[in-house]
Amino acid sequence: MKSLVIIPAFNEEKSIEKTVADLQENAPEFDYIIINDCSTDNTLSLCREKGMPVLNLHVNLGIGGAVQTGYLYAQKMGYDITVQFDGDGQHDAKYLSAMQAYLQDTGADMVIGSRFIEKEGFQSSGIRRLGIRYFTALIACLTKKTITDPTSGMRMVNRKVIQLFASDYPKDYPEPECIAALLKKNYTIKEYPVVMRERAEGTSSISPLKSVYYMIKVTLAILMEQIRE
Amino acid sequence: MTVKLQIVAGIILILGLLWIVNMIRKRKLELKYALAWMVVIILMLLVDIFPPILSLISFLFGIATPVNTLFILGFIFALALLFILTVTVSRLSDRVRQLSQAVALNEKNIEELQLKELKNKKEADGNTL
Repeated sequence: MKSLVIIPAFNEEKSIEKTVADLQENAPEFDYIIINDCSTDNTLSLCREKGMPVLNLHVNLGIGGAVQTGYLYAQKMGYDITVQFDGDGQHDAKYLSAMQAYLQDTGADMVIGSRFIEKEGFQSSGIRRLGIRYFTALIACLTKKTITDPTSGMRMVNRKVIQLFASDYPKDYPEPECIAALLKKNYTIKEYPVVMRERAEGTSSISPLKSVYYMIKVTLAILMEQIRE
Repeated sequence: MTVKLQIVAGIILILGLLWIVNMIRKRKLELKYALAWMVVIILMLLVDIFPPILSLISFLFGIATPVNTLFILGFIFALALLFILTVTVSRLSDRVRQLSQAVALNEKNIEELQLKELKNKKEADGNTL
């Protein structure tokens, strides 16, 4: 069983080393690959210097395109399981092997690391939680499935989904949208309780100004998934 | 605006909207870029259903006939969409340039590696002879 951690990185020079150290210590059975999404800081040179495996994008593709590059790599290298893992220190590598066991035991296609099952650790700000709850409700309303943390970036998938994502993955704000796409195709999604940290460095890619656009765009995208064949 | 015109315009707008949605559904159009068109169509539908909006805007800007307001708004929308497209094309052309340059540099890298390998092989062959 070959497993790969996909770490999308955009300007993560301050936290990428810590993230990789965490992975090597707490999830040594996982290979990892960093996708440098055309960072403007020293992320790339740092990765090369420390011998961390990196795929370097020459054009900034955004989170969707960067993560999909990871899925293409996983497909090419014949990985059985991949997991997306943020490079900014929010995610904790100690959950990965338990998530993998859970994925295999339940036979799920995707396991999402959820902050809101045991409600421990960093819970995001109030307004953001409201947005997350809205997407939970929207997805539940359309698909009758409850996903408590639809915006979580910590998600593990099996080979079937790797193939799917390698050919088709949303470009911007992909998280809730690809849950809707998978559920529409009758894939099973399970959630595993995790504790997340507040990001160590950097700010969220979604500024308050963009969040209105985010809500509208993602809502439309989720609705659009329902009428796709 | 006569009721007849309202109905005809409404049908055309709804057909347009359905066309866009169908294109997105078939993945021929990306939601991100279609959003501006959808917003314009919905705004026009609003004006079509509630013509007083047009009269109000005409009054506010001192335009004598509401139909002229419609023309001006249409013109402004068209210009805005054209401008968004120009910005997108600029960004795309810049990205194509960067990609081409990266490919060129990579090709040179591979070529050098192949040459080096060939040279090493020749040396190895020379040693065995």
